[in-house]
Amino acid sequence: MEEGGVNVIDLTQSDENFIKELMELGADELKECIQCGKCGATCPMALAGLEFFIKRIVHAATLGLRDILLEDSSVWGCQSCNRCVEVCPMDIKPYEVIQAVRRAAVRVESCPANTYEGLRNLYRFGHAVFPKGFEERRKKAGLPEKPPTALSFEEMRKKYQEILRNTILEEIAPFPLT
Amino acid sequence: MKRIGLFLGCNIPFNRPDVEYSLRFLLNALDVEIVEMEGAACCPAYGTMPSLGIFEWAVASAWNLSIAEEKGVDMITGCGSCYGVQNEANYYMKKHPDIKKKVDEVLAKVGRKYNGNVKVWNVTNFLYEQIGLDTLKQKAKYSLNGLKCGIQTGCHNLWPSRAFPANEDNVFAPKRMREICEALGGVAPHYSTITDCCGMGALRSNAPEKSLALFKKKLDTIKAELDPDVNVIGCSSCLMQFDAGQSLLIEQKKINYKIPALHIAQLVAIALGAEVEKATALATIPLNGVITKIKGGN
Repeated sequence: MEEGGVNVIDLTQSDENFIKELMELGADELKECIQCGKCGATCPMALAGLEFFIKRIVHAATLGLRDILLEDSSVWGCQSCNRCVEVCPMDIKPYEVIQAVRRAAVRVESCPANTYEGLRNLYRFGHAVFPKGFEERRKKAGLPEKPPTALSFEEMRKKYQEILRNTILEEIAPFPLT
Repeated sequence: MKRIGLFLGCNIPFNRPDVEYSLRFLLNALDVEIVEMEGAACCPAYGTMPSLGIFEWAVASAWNLSIAEEKGVDMITGCGSCYGVQNEANYYMKKHPDIKKKVDEVLAKVGRKYNGNVKVWNVTNFLYEQIGLDTLKQKAKYSLNGLKCGIQTGCHNLWPSRAFPANEDNVFAPKRMREICEALGGVAPHYSTITDCCGMGALRSNAPEKSLALFKKKLDTIKAELDPDVNVIGCSSCLMQFDAGQSLLIEQKKINYKIPALHIAQLVAIALGAEVEKATALATIPLNGVITKIKGGN
């Protein structure tokens, strides 16, 4: 194990305001955590070998360890599988802690570049996943080049974009919302 | 006649449109009218609007749900994320009236509204509850002829169960997909890691090697315990891992076997008489043996 990083917990770095921020961003039951570890026992991130998996992330969140949580990118490897939510005996919804950390991270531009790629595709095309060459693949399956989604209906797509402009995306997007 | 909104999402229409063909074929064959979700967008994927805020998540899903509600239908999807994300959005909007109020205000700006009346179905639960195994069996043109199926339900089809309108009796021991395969003449035994994650999704995007190693662990267990003719998958993202992801493992010489993979919609469509070339057009692991077994016996 490497020294430092997520493996050393420095309690002098504890930030009560960060705990409040996470609670406001969806981790509203954070303080109920009893550190039982059931979430970690079901977590695919732990099974896959990510050192900073759900139990440790929730622990760091309960201590308000802002820098560790925002600097480590593990939260972005979470599968959103919700096993932890299913098994948590205190119903703190551990996955919502992951999402709250992500929400705090995007507000200070501390997220992986592919996060913005998904958001840009979502805004421009109405689809976060928008791989090249789909027309050819659709043809092979005997389907029209474009699916009947926002991609094919410009007026609807513009309305959808207006909705997205009425969210925090308007403030945090590092690409033009035009 | 039953009607349902076909929610396509992203991976199905763009990466695996053979699953879209299969969904369309099976709904037609089961006399369910397909209502096109004209103008629907991404669900939105967990790493996008849900990672910005609960309101952001809810309003983007409400856009899709409002389209279905206007057309007077529930929705069906073949993608686990689309199923999980939109059901959870429905759940949050019911639980948090303040968020719902904000959603209503923003939807109103573009002349839309959502009253909260749309259910989102996945393929398995729709077949199981809305069609029924007996009807499915009666309408099948081909028997699976003892085809041995390894089942992968997919995380988002199971949890968080409180947000889902329909589910397994035991969400840690799923049986519905097994029963569907068996009703069609296949065998689909339980195995020890049946609910394990396949590693596709955010893990694959952010830690690809760890994702594929996690997948290999699952695949090795399936091979050792079942040695199935085919893996049958409940989610389009899992399908991409079980098919293209497995091809990567073969290319990297990390496994020395091949197990073909079909989405449950593809398998059912083929049993109902779909054109195999279209229903399996994008598969990278050859399915010849599987098709011969299904079609050879009739």
